[in-house]
Amino acid sequence: MAARLVCQLAFRNILRHKRRNVMLFLAIMVAVAGVTGMNTLIRGMQYGMLDAAVENLTGHVKIHAQGYRDDPNISHSFDYNPDFVAQIPAEQLLGWAPRVRLPAVIMSERETRGVQLVGINPAQEGISFLADVAIDGERLTDDEDGRVLIGRELAEQLETQIGRRLVIITQGADGLNRERGYRIVGTYDADGTSLEKVFVFTGITRLQKLLDTDQVTEVSIRLTGEEARQSTRDSMTSFFDTLDVTDWQELEPTAAAMFVFADAAIYIWFLLMMSALIFGLVNTLVASVMERVKELGMLQALGMRKHLVVGQVVVESALIMTMGVSLGLAAGYLIYLSIADGIDLSSFAAGVEMVGISTMLKPVLHVGDLFIVAYLSLVLGILASIYPAWRAVKIEPLEAMRA
Amino acid sequence: MNEVVVSCRGLNKTYQEDAVPVHALQGVDLDVSVGEFVSLSGPSGSGKSTLLNIVGGLDRADTGEVVIDGVELGQLNNAELANLRLHKIGFVFQAYNLIPVLSAQENVEFIMQLQGVDARSRRQRATEALASLGLADLRERRPGELSGGQQQRVAIARSIVTNPVLLLADEPTANLDSATTEELLQVLQHLNEEHQMTIVTATHDPLVMGFTRRRVKLRDGMIEHDEVAMA
Repeated sequence: MAARLVCQLAFRNILRHKRRNVMLFLAIMVAVAGVTGMNTLIRGMQYGMLDAAVENLTGHVKIHAQGYRDDPNISHSFDYNPDFVAQIPAEQLLGWAPRVRLPAVIMSERETRGVQLVGINPAQEGISFLADVAIDGERLTDDEDGRVLIGRELAEQLETQIGRRLVIITQGADGLNRERGYRIVGTYDADGTSLEKVFVFTGITRLQKLLDTDQVTEVSIRLTGEEARQSTRDSMTSFFDTLDVTDWQELEPTAAAMFVFADAAIYIWFLLMMSALIFGLVNTLVASVMERVKELGMLQALGMRKHLVVGQVVVESALIMTMGVSLGLAAGYLIYLSIADGIDLSSFAAGVEMVGISTMLKPVLHVGDLFIVAYLSLVLGILASIYPAWRAVKIEPLEAMRA
Repeated sequence: MNEVVVSCRGLNKTYQEDAVPVHALQGVDLDVSVGEFVSLSGPSGSGKSTLLNIVGGLDRADTGEVVIDGVELGQLNNAELANLRLHKIGFVFQAYNLIPVLSAQENVEFIMQLQGVDARSRRQRATEALASLGLADLRERRPGELSGGQQQRVAIARSIVTNPVLLLADEPTANLDSATTEELLQVLQHLNEEHQMTIVTATHDPLVMGFTRRRVKLRDGMIEHDEVAMA
């Protein structure tokens, strides 16, 4: 009953100074909306980096032969049993692709470059960036295709073009060099120019024939979400017990570090925005207490205990914060909806490509982030009421008797 | 209920004002019996408000003993004092001191709410108290929408609705005009005579003193006169 009275008084006191509290609500709303909107962009960047890392031929989980990562050579290749797919729940598996990936030298009539020669089955590469990439010319048709698909940037470096021939040299399992001429079937335009310079694609079966092998150097597994990564890695480690099973976090440590940093950035951004706001809240609450010294004294004179007086200040702060945060979250959601199609960063493309994200920044809304903002705001609101509540406790009932 | 509602023995209170000791009360003895209507008068600084505050459990004497309805206040901690004020004493202040964000009805219900009285009983008692003071039509108005006299009547309704053993009033008519003062004093007199309410009021106003049967006059922290008017 006393709690209801405290809430009633706190709520009425908020209504008592409408203009002042409306300004405070708006300040909280703007801050929370800003934090919420910014969080969706930070999450967008975070998942953009994750997608870039995963699509960069890495996948969520990858299987190599032991020693391949230290010495990427066809001698570190392996036969694989496609039954491994049965170990992964169908709803968690987006796709998988076997590849032969080797360092190679590529030569045009004018230039020579070091590249990664990747033998692929185009039908299984829906899991990599090749699925969505813009292509001039044609795509590789199948695993028997003996032509090459190269990056646009590499084509410029080699001063060559679609339809021309290139010579690629790589090393076979016997340690001897293999050399073959390839015609350029098309050029691809990836988000990052580094991809375009590095990866040269051809049909996996034709490459295996060149190397006198029927083995692969990697199997890449793409999952439907990050949540299944660890369990899939564990089950693959059991299945391929003689092979090297890794995940994208291990293969792309920079992206993994950035992914973790994005989590921290959300909290840092929240604290920066809300800390500034808290001073305003404390100031308003102190003003509210000091202009009610006589009234708070009178309540005590009539028999109200000090903890209820303190409760009134704390509830007032919590109510202000709750209302401001609710409006802020709603406004933040509207901000998210307004940019849900993505923000085109192409004018800053060189910069964003360096950190490995797409030129189209798509915000990602995590419901958990909304709860974190709401929860932390309420905690901050209660912390902000400590000093004003302490001032209220200092008020003595005698104040009421002094007219 | 004890016959003597208020018993003060040897009360002393000294304040320090700019390092100068001010003796607000010096050895005051005072008994108030059930159903008495007592005025405490005297010039400013005579100690009447200090005595009222100590009797009301809002302040503590340096030495001496105060017993309200059998409870010695010196033995109580602040929380227990608050509880005693809540259940045994009604207050009427000079500046009305209603809660501005609550309606007249809610103000009257306030103390009952603190006491834990259920909502239905609270509402009924508050409505009756306001009606008995001629405020039935003004129940939903907030203090800012009431005149000074109406506010003070709401304050009286708030103070008596819980049937306290003692009603303390500190200059209750100081902010009212003569007509309203007289009206209010008739209310207090009615409470005293019809309901045997024990009332102690601090006042400067001879009109108020004229309504009380017992008049205690203080000077320099001591009781100068303590007389009972003839009926």
